[in-house]
Amino acid sequence: MEVSIGKTMGRRCLVVLIALGSVLGFSFGTAKAAEDGYSIRTQVRDQVRTTDGKADNQPLPGVEITVTDASGEIVGVGITDADGVVIVSVPSRADYTVSLNEETLPTGKKLDARTTAVQKILTDSFITKTKVVTYFTGESQTVSQSGFERVAQRVSDGIRLGLILAMCSVGLSLIFGTTGLTNFAHGEMVTFGGIATFVFNVTGLTFLGSLSFIPGIHPDGTFHIFWAAPLGIILGGGFGWALNKRIFGPLRRRGVGLLTQMVLTVGLSIALRNFFLSRFEGRTRPFSDFSLQRSWDLGPVNITPRDFVVSILSLLILIVTALGLRFTRLGKATRAVSDNPDLASATGIDSEKVIRLVWIIGGALAATGGVFRGLDEQVSFDMGGRLLFLLFAGITLGGLGSAFGALVGGFVVGVMVEVSSLVVPTELKSAPALLVLILVLLLRPQGILGRAQRVG
Amino acid sequence: MGVERTYGEVATRARQSLRDVERGAGARKPNPILTADNIRREFGGIIAVDVDHFEVQEGSITALIGPNGAGKTTFFNLLTGFDQPNSGTWTFQGKDMSKVASHRTAALGMVRTFQLTKSLTKLSVIENMRLGATDQKGEKWWNGLFSAVWKGQEDEITERSDELLTRFQMGHMRDEYAGALSGGQRKLLEMARALMTNPTLVMLDEPMAGVNPALKQSLNEHIRGLRDQGMTVLFVEHDMDMVHDVSDWVIVMAEGRIIAEGTPDDIAKNSAVIDAYLGTRQGQSLLEEE
Amino acid sequence: MDWNLILENSLKGFVGINAVYFAIAALGLNVQFGYTGLLNFGQAGFMACGAYGLGMTAHYFDISFWWGIPLGILFSVVLGLLMGIPTLRLRADYLAIVTIATAEIVRLVVRSVKFKTYFGGSDGINGFSSSFRSLGNDFGIEESDQYGFWPFKFTGRELWVLIVGWLIVAIFGFVVYKLMKSPWGRVLKAIREDEDAVKSLGKNVYSYKMQSLILGGVIGTVSGMIFALDRGSVQPDNYSRDLTFYILTALVLGGVAKVSGSIVGSMMFWGLFTFMDNFLRQVAKDPVSIGNVTIMKSTQVGQLNFILIGITLILLMVYRPQGVFGNRKEMAFDGR
Repeated sequence: MEVSIGKTMGRRCLVVLIALGSVLGFSFGTAKAAEDGYSIRTQVRDQVRTTDGKADNQPLPGVEITVTDASGEIVGVGITDADGVVIVSVPSRADYTVSLNEETLPTGKKLDARTTAVQKILTDSFITKTKVVTYFTGESQTVSQSGFERVAQRVSDGIRLGLILAMCSVGLSLIFGTTGLTNFAHGEMVTFGGIATFVFNVTGLTFLGSLSFIPGIHPDGTFHIFWAAPLGIILGGGFGWALNKRIFGPLRRRGVGLLTQMVLTVGLSIALRNFFLSRFEGRTRPFSDFSLQRSWDLGPVNITPRDFVVSILSLLILIVTALGLRFTRLGKATRAVSDNPDLASATGIDSEKVIRLVWIIGGALAATGGVFRGLDEQVSFDMGGRLLFLLFAGITLGGLGSAFGALVGGFVVGVMVEVSSLVVPTELKSAPALLVLILVLLLRPQGILGRAQRVG
Repeated sequence: MGVERTYGEVATRARQSLRDVERGAGARKPNPILTADNIRREFGGIIAVDVDHFEVQEGSITALIGPNGAGKTTFFNLLTGFDQPNSGTWTFQGKDMSKVASHRTAALGMVRTFQLTKSLTKLSVIENMRLGATDQKGEKWWNGLFSAVWKGQEDEITERSDELLTRFQMGHMRDEYAGALSGGQRKLLEMARALMTNPTLVMLDEPMAGVNPALKQSLNEHIRGLRDQGMTVLFVEHDMDMVHDVSDWVIVMAEGRIIAEGTPDDIAKNSAVIDAYLGTRQGQSLLEEE
Repeated sequence: MDWNLILENSLKGFVGINAVYFAIAALGLNVQFGYTGLLNFGQAGFMACGAYGLGMTAHYFDISFWWGIPLGILFSVVLGLLMGIPTLRLRADYLAIVTIATAEIVRLVVRSVKFKTYFGGSDGINGFSSSFRSLGNDFGIEESDQYGFWPFKFTGRELWVLIVGWLIVAIFGFVVYKLMKSPWGRVLKAIREDEDAVKSLGKNVYSYKMQSLILGGVIGTVSGMIFALDRGSVQPDNYSRDLTFYILTALVLGGVAKVSGSIVGSMMFWGLFTFMDNFLRQVAKDPVSIGNVTIMKSTQVGQLNFILIGITLILLMVYRPQGVFGNRKEMAFDGR
């Protein structure tokens, strides 16, 4: 059932190459050029800042370089010397691949983001008998920053993620509260926002090109993100409305059980994910605007201006949502229906109207989360689906059915996920959130703000 | 009211044992099978149950009555482990039950039925009945595969089930899905099923609700039959005629507290009780017993 | 349009190894979900237990391959306890959430670089099925020989796994059937409908739910073993939440709470899937367009198929939730 075969294949090729190499044996390169043969001269230079902030390059010794030929056989392996240089002889003028073994980099150094560990040398690049390959390294964040800086950075990342999770979770929690339905397609509603915005922003709708007299709309039918995002969000709300109107509303009125509806959301999730995959394809793609930015240095924390603005916006949206829930009539009705549907309908609140609103707002908020996430981490077919389990952790922590609980819980989960990457390898940073989920269920199953009767 | 009854021996004994008990809330009984002290249950500021002292005489039929929202079902839930009180202790046959889980109370002999019937509609009537039997070897997963181990017991259980069903005049429905039964029949089924556990104390939550009058009479017979077989019966009811007809003792709850106790005749004359029923404020009935 | 090829592959799909491991996993899921009403959305995690149990015996422990079987079962019991203890006293939704999350964590852990020495990281574990295959040789099935008749032509290697697989399907099918007809099964079916009623009869509902969860999980583990044996390798990305969802689809298609439903549903799922896959690939040899818009390229066939699966599940739930073989009256789906 591999849906994204490409990634695995690419990685497997690399491993096979290295594995083959280690099995077949290798020759060591020397620092002196071979007399009449071809060679590849690899240098590793470390970018450092001097005390007055100027950039400087230092040689980096002790780094392992492997050269393989076009068929994957290892031609030579070497270690950079005190000058940060290693020369590997190659038998002929041909295609080669040079790989830097990142594990041999000294701690605290990592490859500069612009250099890849694996570089291909084509035959034609042998202008002289020696081809020069350069690697640049820079400080890896984990050591160059002090402990406090690391924690602060992670907290900042966590807050960003937490705000987005909070936004996406509100809809999920309210849908559960008002209808009892656990919506397993909610991740796809997040993705929908990201992709819909992408369509406006990057793909463009050619038939709308005639609107280009409006600033921000281009003749090829692409919209600046300032247009595309609101459009995507509106569509997200519309999507939620449509789901309720066409699917879940009729099923509810028919008296169809919750289990059936839940399984249906599973089918919806499958269909939507694969639809997104088929049209959007497997890789991540950025929005046209604001994607490449240099980070600001805000004290101990690095953050791009874009992410900063997004966080402020998220916070504002969350505050508005919270205020709306607390003070508007519709907001209070929503909370009433969500907390106690029977009592609410007994006091004359139109539950159906509330439910419709919940799907619309929930869809719109999820879409907003998708757009913001897309600005931060690029758009992919799976961007929301990957968050689903974090969303569940958040609303469970905060209390299933409570809107404020979703805000709090989503936020806490987000911060937790990022902060835990200080102690846990990045690839596993979601794991502590799960453990917390289990702990919460053991100790206080109704979450922080939920009602105990809801629980079992 | 006022149907002439000739009391059997057991009934006479039950009434006699209660003859000298004081008529008042929290009265002590000669042989209490169930006692409760200082039980308190709050729901977000609203006090649903606040019982200082409560005792049920062994071998008697005791009715628990009171207006809607008095806390009767909540009290049931608390005693049987389906809900946890904020404070209080209670014992069954002298054993402390405060920490006992709901399934354990049933296993110990304290069995209850539900206000909203829980007959298992996707199972047949006879399967419902068989489910009730306790200590079934076949219910252990390691035995499940080997029908030889549990077949004998299953046949016994089936026999007992059929007997009970016949007694409750439901034998002809035995192979129907419980979902096909009428409301009253489902009540009977739930009661019959509860009896399969050979309980010591049977707690019935509104056994008459939704049952047609003809069936109500036979239901009363069945309840009497339970006492005559040595079980203690505690039931919640609203139908005062039936209560008066069948109970040995009546306990009255209102607003979460016990306000009166006595024989059915005593209660019928008790002004506090009449006040509680007639004087119920309108808004209070919204507090549904959870 | 090569109908011959389409037909041949589809018919093979009905009885092929995919249908087999799906059927076993669906049987396990049926015990949990169909009979007991437990929302286990982490069946893929249990399957991973089985696959990695087998794989690790060769890769990490360097002991005989056959020890992988109890090892995998041990993993799945632990996983079942881990999932069940916090959630089985609570609403069904909580189990769903925890199972999805736990299965995902299992996948992240086994594909992580940190635990690469144990689990093989994202490349997984390869090459451990040789003892299994040589067993087939002992039974006289040569790996590279062709067996069977049109359309059921299989190599010896395939045939051996199929024989073992279908045998296991039959055994588990029988076991589940007998168990569900026993008093134990009766308790589960009652729990599915109304836990409180069962508790009021003196039965420890929590314990029964745990038994059901673990039994279903162990069956799922065996499914994972067959899956891994067929491929000869264990790949972490195979055991994703999607897999659980597809198995659920197959189960629901055939009909929950019926042993035949799990088996036939899986066969139908794979037969239809293979048919659509072959059919669409032939149709999409050249990209299909309406006007300027390309509707389908050959690379999109796989996804289109999965979209159809999702839509099928939706339609099933709306129009025929009891599946093909299910009994509407017996279905405790409604009115939860």
